[in-house]
Amino acid sequence: MSTVPEYYKIVEEVFEKYKDKEFLFVGRYTQRWDSVEKIKGRALFTADFARLYSNLVYVHSVRTKYAHALIKSIDVSEASGYPGVLRIITAKDIPGINDVGYVIPDQPLIADRKVRYVGDIVALVVAENPLVAREAGELINVEYEPLPVITNPLDVVDLMTLKEKPHTLVHDERGSDILVHYKIRRGDVEKAMREADVRVEGVYKTPFQEHAYMEPEASIAIPEPDGSVTVIASTQCPFDVRKAVAKVLGLTLNKVRIVVPAVGGGFGGKEDVANEVAAKAALAAVLTGRPAFAVHTREESIIGHSKRHPMVAWYRHAAKKDGTLLAVEANVVLDGGAYASLGPFVPWRATVHATGPYKVQSARVDVVRVYTNNVYAGAFRGFGNPQVIFAVERQMDLLAEELGMDPVELRLKNILRVGDETVHGQKLTEEHGVGLEEAVMKAVEASNWFELRRRYSEITGPVRKGIGIALFYHGNSIGVEGADYSSVTLIINRDGSVSIRTGLTEFGQGSTWGLALIAAEILGVPPSYFKIENPDTSATPDAGPTVASRATVMGGAATVVAAYKLRKRLNEVASHILGCDPEDIVIRAPDVYCSSDPKRRTRWADVVEQSFWLGVPLQEFGYYRAPRALWDEETGQGAPYITYTFGAIIADVDVDIETGLVKVNKIFTAYDIGKVINRMGAELNAEGGAIQALGYALMEELIHDKEGRVSNPNLSTYYVPTIKDVPEIIPLWVEAKYKKGPLGAKGFGEPSFNAVAAAIANAVAHAIRANVTELPITPERVYMLLKNKQKT
Amino acid sequence: MFRFDVYVPKDLRDALEAFKIYGEGLVPIAGGTDLLVLYRQGIIRFKALLDLWSLRSELSYIKLEDGLVKIGALTTIDELNSSELLKDKRFAGLRDASKTFASPFIRSVATVGGNVGAAHPLSDVAITLLTYDASVKVRSLEGERVIPLRSFFLDKRKTVKRPDELITEVFFSEPPDNASSVFIKLDRKVGHGMGYVAVGVYAELDGDVIKNVRIAFDSMGRAFPERALMTEDALRGMELSERNVDRVVREVLPKEMGRISDYRASAEYRLYLSQVLLKRALLEVGRRVRGE
Amino acid sequence: MSEVGASRAPWDIYRDIEVSFKVNGKEVRVRVKPYERLLDVLRNKLGLLSVKEGCGRGECGSCVVIMNGKLIPTCLTLAVRAEGSEILTLEGIAPEGKLHAIQKALLDTYSMQCGFCFPGVIMASKYLLDKNPDPTEDEIRDALDGNICRCGSYLRFIKAVKLASKYIKEGKVFFDESEVLR
Repeated sequence: MSTVPEYYKIVEEVFEKYKDKEFLFVGRYTQRWDSVEKIKGRALFTADFARLYSNLVYVHSVRTKYAHALIKSIDVSEASGYPGVLRIITAKDIPGINDVGYVIPDQPLIADRKVRYVGDIVALVVAENPLVAREAGELINVEYEPLPVITNPLDVVDLMTLKEKPHTLVHDERGSDILVHYKIRRGDVEKAMREADVRVEGVYKTPFQEHAYMEPEASIAIPEPDGSVTVIASTQCPFDVRKAVAKVLGLTLNKVRIVVPAVGGGFGGKEDVANEVAAKAALAAVLTGRPAFAVHTREESIIGHSKRHPMVAWYRHAAKKDGTLLAVEANVVLDGGAYASLGPFVPWRATVHATGPYKVQSARVDVVRVYTNNVYAGAFRGFGNPQVIFAVERQMDLLAEELGMDPVELRLKNILRVGDETVHGQKLTEEHGVGLEEAVMKAVEASNWFELRRRYSEITGPVRKGIGIALFYHGNSIGVEGADYSSVTLIINRDGSVSIRTGLTEFGQGSTWGLALIAAEILGVPPSYFKIENPDTSATPDAGPTVASRATVMGGAATVVAAYKLRKRLNEVASHILGCDPEDIVIRAPDVYCSSDPKRRTRWADVVEQSFWLGVPLQEFGYYRAPRALWDEETGQGAPYITYTFGAIIADVDVDIETGLVKVNKIFTAYDIGKVINRMGAELNAEGGAIQALGYALMEELIHDKEGRVSNPNLSTYYVPTIKDVPEIIPLWVEAKYKKGPLGAKGFGEPSFNAVAAAIANAVAHAIRANVTELPITPERVYMLLKNKQKT
Repeated sequence: MFRFDVYVPKDLRDALEAFKIYGEGLVPIAGGTDLLVLYRQGIIRFKALLDLWSLRSELSYIKLEDGLVKIGALTTIDELNSSELLKDKRFAGLRDASKTFASPFIRSVATVGGNVGAAHPLSDVAITLLTYDASVKVRSLEGERVIPLRSFFLDKRKTVKRPDELITEVFFSEPPDNASSVFIKLDRKVGHGMGYVAVGVYAELDGDVIKNVRIAFDSMGRAFPERALMTEDALRGMELSERNVDRVVREVLPKEMGRISDYRASAEYRLYLSQVLLKRALLEVGRRVRGE
Repeated sequence: MSEVGASRAPWDIYRDIEVSFKVNGKEVRVRVKPYERLLDVLRNKLGLLSVKEGCGRGECGSCVVIMNGKLIPTCLTLAVRAEGSEILTLEGIAPEGKLHAIQKALLDTYSMQCGFCFPGVIMASKYLLDKNPDPTEDEIRDALDGNICRCGSYLRFIKAVKLASKYIKEGKVFFDESEVLR
C-alpha cells in the first residue's frame, strides 16, 4: 500500500487541531466510570460470578512433586471413584492440542511426558466441592523419574561467552535451552575501549519478582447449548485466551467467547496465565456439561504464573574524561524458568533499552534468555527494561564517580535530545516528543539535588542519607513483537448516551477511561454520558493485548479515528438543523449551537434523533495500526518503537548502617508521557508504580531452593510494600507531545515502574558509599556491603 | 481428609471431656491464625476442631492477684495491647510486642495462649513473657499443672503440653517499680513483618546498676524462644552504660547463641543483628526505667 | 440439622449446623458445614460479595469485616463462630442509595484503581474512625498496615481517612451518590 492510511492522517489532523486548545475533559480530574460500583463493593470480579450457577463444578489442579522429572505413569483410579468427584482429566483427555503457550507452543496445559517446574499440572480433578477435589487429588499416584534440577541460569550459559553449557536439558525436544539471543552491533567498540579515558565494569543481579495482584487467577466456563463455550476470565488479553481455549478444545474461534469482568490487578501477570486457567475451566465444562470454576489459591498463584525475569548482567562502559559516553558493552542473561511465556519478547525489549536513554557511539549488546526449572518468567511491568536500567544507571553512577563528575551532570552530557540518534540509529525528532532533559531538570529542582548530594556526602553517624537519580526511556507499544493494531467501536445510542466497545481490558490502570475522555473531548459530550462495555470477544473488537503501555497510545488513536468520523457526521446533521456550516458547529452536550451565532441552538438529543431519521449511522469502528517498527536482527539497528516515554526519578533515602535497614523518604518522579489524558489515572499510576518498584528495590525476591521449590510462596514471606513502607511521592509532568499519538499522548503503564528501583539503589550507594550491584537491597545485603568495604 | 468436624464446648470441663470422646484427631483452636494456616499448608491434619472461642468468658482476663499478673489464655493480643492494668512502664515490652504483632485484624483474634502454644521462634508474645519468667497453667481432666515457660518448649511447634491438655493461663510475678521491659524485632521493611530476629529484655535497675535482667531471643540456637542466660549473668550487677553493654553483647552473646542460615538470612547476619538489637534494647529499657 | 455444639458421632463432617446471627442489621439463619469459613458463608450463602478472598491466610486484608465490634479476618474464622454475633460488611455501612463518609472521601481523593482491596480498606478505616475519630497519619498507617493494595493507592488512603474524619466531624456521615466529585 503506497498511500498513507487514512487513520494516520486523522490522528495527526486531530493532534494539530487540539494542540493549543484548552481541554474540557482531557487532562482533568474525572471520576472513573466504575469507581462508584467498586466503592460499594458491587463490582463483580470473576470469582463473584460463581454463586450464580447452581450446578457449578470445581476444578482443582494437581501439581507435580518434582521440579524436573519424567512422568512414567499416572494412576487416577482411586481418585476417580472418590465420592463427589465427577471426573479426573489428564493429558490424554484433551480434545484439541495440549498447549497454552502465549508466543510459542512449548507449554502443555497438562504435563504428559515430563514436568519442568513445581507448578506443572499433572491432572485436573473436577468435583462438586473444592475441598473434595483437593482430597481426591491426594489420591492420584504419579510415578516420576526425577531429573537433575537446574535453578541457576549460569549453569545453562556462561555469562562471559554466552555459550550453552552441558546440562540436562529442560526442553530436550528443542535441543537447546537458549530460547532467544538478541544483539546490538554499532560502531567500533574495541577501538572505543582502547581510546577511552575511563572504563567501568560490573556484574549486576536482579531477582524473580512476583506480581502479587490482590485478585488470584480465576475462570468460570459455561458450556453453551450449541457446543461452544463461554468463559468469564480474569485476564489482560481476552483474544489470546480465546485462541488458547479454542486450541485446547479443538473449536473454531467463533465458538469460544471470553468475557472480562472487573479484574483485580494484572501488571503483566495476567497476560498469559489466563490461557491456562480458562482452558482448565473450559475443559472441565465441556467434559462434564456443567459450568466449571477454576480458581487459584494465593500459593498456587505464586508458584503457578509467570514472574519477572531475573537478570545477571555484565556491563562495561567507556567514556572520555569530559564525560562523553564512547561505548557500552553488555552480556545479559535472563532466567526464563520452565516455559517461554512472553520470553521471546522480554529480552528484545531489554536489548533495545540495554544502553539507557543516552547517545552511544558504539555498542555491543548480547542478551540471551534461557530455560531453567524455576517458575517460568514472562511479562511484568517494564518487561526487561527495569532490569537493564538497574545495571545501566549503576554504571553511570560508577562512571560519574570515576570521572569526579556529579551524576546529573554526567547524564545531561549524554542524554537523548531532539535530533539525536538512539543506539539503534533511530533519529528522534519533534514528532516523537523528547522531554527527557526537561524531566531531569524538573526532578533536580524539586528535590534540591545538588545541595543534598553534597550535604548528604558529609554525614557521619549511625543513620546515613543518600540521594540518587535514574533515567530511562521506554518504547511505546509492542515494536516488532507483532502486528501492532488497536480498535474501538463508538456507538451513540438513540437517547444520546454513548457506548464504548473495545477489547482493551482494565485491571486497575483505568486506561479505557482515557479513551472515553478522548471521545468525550472530540464529540463534545461529557464523560458521564459514556458507558464502557466489558471486553467480550463476541461483542467488542480485537484491540490487541492490553500490554506494553499501549492502551492509551494505540487504543486512544483508534478512538480518535472513530470519534473524528462520528463528529464529522454529527456536524453535518447539526448544520442541517441549524443552518450554519458544519465547521461552525459547537457541541457542548446537552447543547449544540453555532459558534458564530450562539442563539442558533438545539439539543444533543435532537441531533442524535435526527441522525436516525436521516439515515446517518451513529456507530463507528475506529482502527489504528502503528507505523512499522524496523529492526535488523544482526545489528540491532532500525527504528524499534513508534516513540518513547521518558523519565527521571530521584530518590531520597535513609540507611541505618547498624542494621542495614533502608527507609525511603521521598521519591520524585518526573515523566514525559506526552499529553496527559487521564490525569487521575496518571497520578495513581505514578504513585503505584513507584510503590511496586520500591518493593522490587528493597524487599521482593522469590526464592527457589535447590530442588526448584519456591521457599516463600505466600504474602508473609514474600514481602510486598504495605502502607507503612510508603514514602512521600512527588509526581511531576512534562508534556513533550507525540504528534502521531492521540492528542499527543504516550504510554505510561510500565514507565511508572521502570527506573524507581535504580534511583533507590543509587541513593543507597550514595548513602553507604559502597557499590550496590544486586536487588533487593535487604538489610543483610547492606550489612555485607559495609563489611566488605571495611575490609578493603 | 481436608474437611473436618467442629465441637463447640459449653464450658472448660466440657472441652476437656471432648478429648476423651474424640480421642486423637481433636485439635483445639483458639484464634486460628496459626493453626488454620498450618492446616491449609497440609502440615497439620485433624478430624475435628475443639472450638475454644466459646470459653472466652471463662478464659480471657487480665488481673492482678496475690502479687501475680494473671492473663487468661484466650485473651487476645488486642486486649493485651489495650489493657489498662498493663499501661505503666513495667509492662512496656508486652505492649511493644502486641503493637507490632502481625496486623490489626490478626490481633483481634490471636490469643496469648495460642501464641505460647504455637511454640514458634517468632512467637512475639511468648518471647516477651519469657523475660517475665512467666509460667503456663495447663488443665486436663486429671487436674492442673504449672510449667515454667522457660521449660515449656521442646522443639519448633512442640511443647510439653499433652494433646489432652489445654493452656488456661499464663502468669508472672508483678514487677517492682524499678522495672521495665522492651521488645524489638527487625525485618526488611518498615511495615509489619515476622522479623529476622526478635529480642525481649526485662530489667530492674538500682540507680544505674542492673539489679536483675532477663533476655529472650526468638532463637538461641534451637528452634524456639530461649533466654540468653550467660549474657544475663554477665550483665547482672553491672552499670547499664553503653560501654558495658557494648562489651558484654560483643563478647558474651556469641558464646551462647547459635544461628542458622536459611533463605531469609544468613547465620552471620542474624548473630550480628541479635547483638545490635540487644544493645538497643538494653539501652532503651534503661531509659524506660528512668522514665525518659 | 444440628445446633452449634452438638455432634452425633465422633466425626461427622457431613452434618449441617444451623447458625443464627445478625448481618448488616438483619437477622439471618444459615446452614453451614463444620469446616466452612465465615468468608464462604458470607459470600456464597448470603451473597455479600464485597468480602473478597485474596490469600486465605490472613495476610492481605481483603476479607476483613467487623464482627462484634472487632475487625476480623473471615478467611481464618470458622462459620460456626458467627453464632449470636453481629457482623458488618461493606454492604451495610451506609443506608441504601447512600455512601458512607469513608466511601465519599475515597472517591473525592480519586483513589480508585482495581478496587479489589477497597472493601477491606474501607472496613479497616471504619474500624479506626469508630475508635479514633481524629487519627494522625501514623495512626492511619498503623490501622491499615494489614491491608495490601498492590495497585498502590496507599497515599490516597491516608488522605481519604483524614478527609472522612473531617466530614464526620462536620456531621456529614452519609452522602448522596450525586454528591460524589465527578
